Amino acid sequence: MRQNLFLFELKIFFRNTSSITAIVILLLAGFVGLYFGKTFIERQENVVQKAINLQKENTGNNYEHFGEDTGLFFYHNKFSVANTATKWAAFSNGQRDINPYLISVTMLGLEGQIYDTDIANPSSLLMGNIDLGFVFIFLFPLVIIALSYNILSSQQENGVWILLRSQTSKPHLIIWNKLLVRVLVIFATAFVLMTAALFYLNLELDLIFFSIFGLILLYLTFWFAAVFFVISFGKTSNFNASSLIGLWVGLAIVVPASLNLYLSAKYPVPEALKNVMEQRQGYHEKWDLPKNVTMEPFYKHYPQLKQYPFDEQKTFSWFWYYGMQQMGDDQALESRKAMEHKLENRQQFASVVALFFPTIQTQLSVNSLAGSDLKSHLDFQNFVRDYHEKVRLHFYPVIFQEQKVSLAEVEKFGLKHYKNPVSPLKLESVISLVLLSLILLIVGNLNFRRLFK
Amino acid sequence: MSNNIFIIARQSFRMAYSNKATFAFAVLLSFSLVLATFVGWKNYKVQNEQRLQYKKEVRKQWLANPDKHPHRMAHYGYLAFREKHELSFFDFGIESFAGVSIFLEAHKQNSVNFSEASFSNGMLRFGELSVAMVLQILFPLLIIFVGYNCISAERESGTLKILLCQNTTWKDLLWGKTFGLLALSLSIFIPFIILTIILWGILSEWQLSGDSVVRLLLLIGGYIIYFFVISVITALVSALSSGSRPALTTLLASWIFFIVIMPRVTQSVGNQIYPSPSKIPFLANIAEDVSKEGDSHNPDDPHYAKIKDSLLKKYNVDDVKKLPFNYGGFIMAEGEKITSNIYSRHQKNLNKTFENQNSITKLASFLNPYLALKEVSMILTASDYSTYTDFQNQAEQYRYGLAQKMNQLQIEHISNEKPAEHEKPHIISQNNWASQQDFEYHFTKISEAVSKNSTAFSALFFWLVVSIFAIQFSVKRIKTI
Repeated sequence: MRQNLFLFELKIFFRNTSSITAIVILLLAGFVGLYFGKTFIERQENVVQKAINLQKENTGNNYEHFGEDTGLFFYHNKFSVANTATKWAAFSNGQRDINPYLISVTMLGLEGQIYDTDIANPSSLLMGNIDLGFVFIFLFPLVIIALSYNILSSQQENGVWILLRSQTSKPHLIIWNKLLVRVLVIFATAFVLMTAALFYLNLELDLIFFSIFGLILLYLTFWFAAVFFVISFGKTSNFNASSLIGLWVGLAIVVPASLNLYLSAKYPVPEALKNVMEQRQGYHEKWDLPKNVTMEPFYKHYPQLKQYPFDEQKTFSWFWYYGMQQMGDDQALESRKAMEHKLENRQQFASVVALFFPTIQTQLSVNSLAGSDLKSHLDFQNFVRDYHEKVRLHFYPVIFQEQKVSLAEVEKFGLKHYKNPVSPLKLESVISLVLLSLILLIVGNLNFRRLFK
Repeated sequence: MSNNIFIIARQSFRMAYSNKATFAFAVLLSFSLVLATFVGWKNYKVQNEQRLQYKKEVRKQWLANPDKHPHRMAHYGYLAFREKHELSFFDFGIESFAGVSIFLEAHKQNSVNFSEASFSNGMLRFGELSVAMVLQILFPLLIIFVGYNCISAERESGTLKILLCQNTTWKDLLWGKTFGLLALSLSIFIPFIILTIILWGILSEWQLSGDSVVRLLLLIGGYIIYFFVISVITALVSALSSGSRPALTTLLASWIFFIVIMPRVTQSVGNQIYPSPSKIPFLANIAEDVSKEGDSHNPDDPHYAKIKDSLLKKYNVDDVKKLPFNYGGFIMAEGEKITSNIYSRHQKNLNKTFENQNSITKLASFLNPYLALKEVSMILTASDYSTYTDFQNQAEQYRYGLAQKMNQLQIEHISNEKPAEHEKPHIISQNNWASQQDFEYHFTKISEAVSKNSTAFSALFFWLVVSIFAIQFSVKRIKTI
């Protein structure tokens, strides 16, 4: 009996052209999302590929022009580091359009270079990208709402419900079956799109795949639970549609937007501007001060460099110059740390509020698993810092002893790829989604019992 | 306006407010508007004050520099901070996605860094609550929820036939319902605007600039047109649909399509058709062009060799050291001129590419009233793309002026003889630094902003005209039963 009912509902569902249209729209949007997401990342990868050769070329040119003067050569020569996109970044582009994925720095002060952004059209950044993640997070809930908001109310409105109730002792089974059909159809659509992503983006069937797929299914379940909850009041179709759209607008637009406003007011980042000022002043003022003002803290920072001869009488020397550059970084250290602290506060805040809002939760978790969130950018920045330090320490002795550097030695430091280690899905994200869905389902079920008494 | 229209409008306005849900929604919207104004204004204040404070400090530090070689000053450079327009509290536009600080130095064009978005972990992608967002996105929802059945319900309850028998024409009915819906939005919008003006006046101690007042008036006009257009669409869909439920479904689906999906799609399509270069190849192309024109670092470069020869000839000397001015400064001034010309050319091309990317969205505003208003609103609150490029241009102009001023000081005051390895460097008095004015950003005048962005304004006007025509001529296609 139960199985028959289910098949019957399935038949009814597919007899309705608008349901089929909705599924087709989702599939199409999903493919479009896959295409845009992939081309976005591919373009970045092409740039990185080009940059490998460009760095080689530039190094050659610089060497030809300035090779005789090692200090001057390193004044000009840039070392690039690329934040290699994970394959999942094409699934969810995240912050990869806002934060630079390729940072090129000389051996001079790092603080003045590391925050340089890539070229970007602010209008495009404002509108945001289309990727499969967007389709899952924004559009799927809307289709879920469209398919299910009237599964009870339309029966009530056209008078069928009274007939049904008189013929069956378990009227809620009908609603359950209708909902189950929709859950299965939506999950199947998600499955098709995830399979398409698997092949189109060359993903692997690994833990990340199952984490993201699982997360998305949980997210979609949450929306079904929300629909179930709303229709359980037994109100009219128009009421259901309005409240569900209202809920969607709240969760997908108003709440995150209000939280953003609050976030930027609560944690402003004036430290960024302070950092620029201090970095610049810390370096430039040293030109007009006695040399030991630079050299003493510099030796303190790098005791191992004290062994190289330093001629204080010389008006200018690269030793002193690179020391002054270091002073810019050292002077900006405090504001840099303060800025990092602020960003941590912001992330902390976001991850706490995300526990209560599945839209934010899913978006942030998917970005994190795809390695396209702020944290992966900050990790990338730290990697650039370490690499920069390594390059510095490698070449400082050559510069300070005024020796000539060999081109081959510099070319050893070609474009460096950074691969973000992916952190696994956080348990609290799963728990929050499961709990929120459960609450809605339980309350909805209680409502239904009351309704069918 | 005929009497009938007025009666219908008044009636539907009263009906709307008698509905508890509508009332609650209206209160909620008013509350979000007040909240958005308050926090938006506070954010504007805090951020602008920070920027002004650091701007002052930059100036102070610049002037406090001791006697030194002018080229050192050119490299010391200047820091410019992007100011927010006072109306930007109303509409954040691209504010959060555009950088704030730029370092201006000789020979080098730096990027504008530290956008709010770069401090965000992705939540910003959902949007930011601003007055504009409430008015642009949520007000249409209010109009839809109240108005979707404004005519279909009359039809379903049979009152429509009675109405039309009683000397009321279809036109009267449509206009009346439209004005009723419009009145509903204005009943929240107008008090809010009055409140905003008072708040704005108090906070700026009634120092309102004429330009900003014009901007605000246009802004009010623009939003009223927008509410009108949405009201017309809602009334028409309600009249043309077979019933209330399909009317609601159609309107909600359109809302989702036009406000959530279409803007992203048009912008993505624009990016796809007109791809913009990344920074590294962009800079590499500039470097290539520079080296074609002449490389001031290369002593054998033909361009500079020619300059050298002509100078030697003109002053009748055999060595650049014997020239009556500083030769190094002269060459750097020439180099700066060449490189910044080339840079500007490339930057212009890049801006052109960005404008092309945006043009798809701009064209789409003839299909989508939301996009038309969004653009108009950003232009009027100076939080749009062209204001941002204007800042970039002014900063670049300032940078060029600063570099050339320092080169000029070097040409005039620095000796041609290079100091030996252990000699003191040549310097000039710090009194010279004051002659470099502070960087002041000037917002585009409103008349210029309007004429520069005429497409957006014509799109909104187009929607006004289309809406009026739609009511006047749709009558024939509407069925009474």
